[in-house]
Amino acid sequence: MNKMELRFSATLANESLARTAVSAFIAPLNPSLEEIGEIKTMVSEAVSNAIIHGYGFDSAKEVILRCELDQSVLTLVVIDYGKGIENIENAKKPHYSSRPDLERAGMGLTIMETLADSFTIRSVLGMGSKVIIRKEILSEETYEKEGV
Amino acid sequence: MESKIRITPFEDGLVIKFSGELDSSKTMLYRDKIHREMTSSGPRFLLFDLKDCSFLDSAGIGLILGRFNEVEKVAGGCGFIHLSPYARKVIKISGLFSVMKEYSSLMEFRKDMGVKL
Ligand SMILES: Nc1ncnc2c1ncn2[C@@H]1O[C@H](COP(=O)(O)OP(=O)(O)OP(=O)(O)O)[C@@H](O)[C@H]1O
Ligand SMILES: [Mg+2]
Repeated sequence: MNKMELRFSATLANESLARTAVSAFIAPLNPSLEEIGEIKTMVSEAVSNAIIHGYGFDSAKEVILRCELDQSVLTLVVIDYGKGIENIENAKKPHYSSRPDLERAGMGLTIMETLADSFTIRSVLGMGSKVIIRKEILSEETYEKEGV
Repeated sequence: MESKIRITPFEDGLVIKFSGELDSSKTMLYRDKIHREMTSSGPRFLLFDLKDCSFLDSAGIGLILGRFNEVEKVAGGCGFIHLSPYARKVIKISGLFSVMKEYSSLMEFRKDMGVKL
C-alpha cells in the first residue's frame, strides 16, 4: 500500500501539476502510455470540475487530491469544499453543463465514468463535492516484452 | 514538451495542429487564435491534427465541438488526423465521431469533404 496527498490552489494552472504527480506516483507499476493518458484525463476532469464549478475559479480555495495504490489498484479521490451539485443524476447526463458559456462540452463526468473501473461522486449543496475513482493498472512491461 | 497550436491554411480550410497538452488552461487561448484565423480566411473545413497531442480531456472536446458547430453553419465540416489509441478513446467516449471522422491524410479529408483539388 502506498499513499500520497496533494493540496493546491484552485487555479487551472495547477491541473498539470496534479496530472504529473499522479503519473509519477503510478510510474513504478509500468503503466502503458494509454493507461497513463486515461488516468491523466480522469485526474484533469475531476480537478477542473472542482476549480471551475466547485470554486468558480476562486484561487484562494484549495483542491485536495488523494492517491492510493493497493497492489495494482489505483484509487483517486478529488475533493472540493465548494458549492456542491444540486442534482447529480442531471449533472451526469452526457452533454449537460451548467457553463456552456465557457464552451464546456458537458462530458467530464461521462468520460470519468467510462474510463474508470468504478466511479462515485458525492456532493452536498453548499458543502462541496468528492469524486472517487478506481482503476486497475494492468499492463506489465509491454515495452520490454516487445523488445523495444 | 511545450504546448502549442499551429494553424496551416489550405484551399477552403485549416489544418489545426495541437502539440503537448490540450487542457482547460489552453482552450480559451486556442479558441481565440482559431477565431482570428477563421475571420481572416473564412474556412469551411477544419482538420484537427493530434499527432503530437499528449493530453486530451473534455476541455479539448469542447473546443473542437465549438468549432464544428461554427463551420457546420456554413455547410462545412471537420475531421481528425493522427489519433493515438488514447486520443481515439477519449473522442469516442465524447461522441464526437458521430459528427466528424478520422482520416489518414489531408488529401483523403479534402476528397471526403468535396473540396476542389
Ligand atoms: N466539483 C463540482 N462542483 C460543483 N458542480 C460540479 C462539480 N463537478 C461537476 N459539477 C456540475 O456537473 C456538471 C457536469 O460536469 P461535467 O464535468 O460532466 O461537465 P462540464 O464540466 O460542465 O463540461 P466538461 O467537463 O465537458 O468541460 C457541471 O456543468 C457542473 O454543473
Ligand atoms: Mg467537467
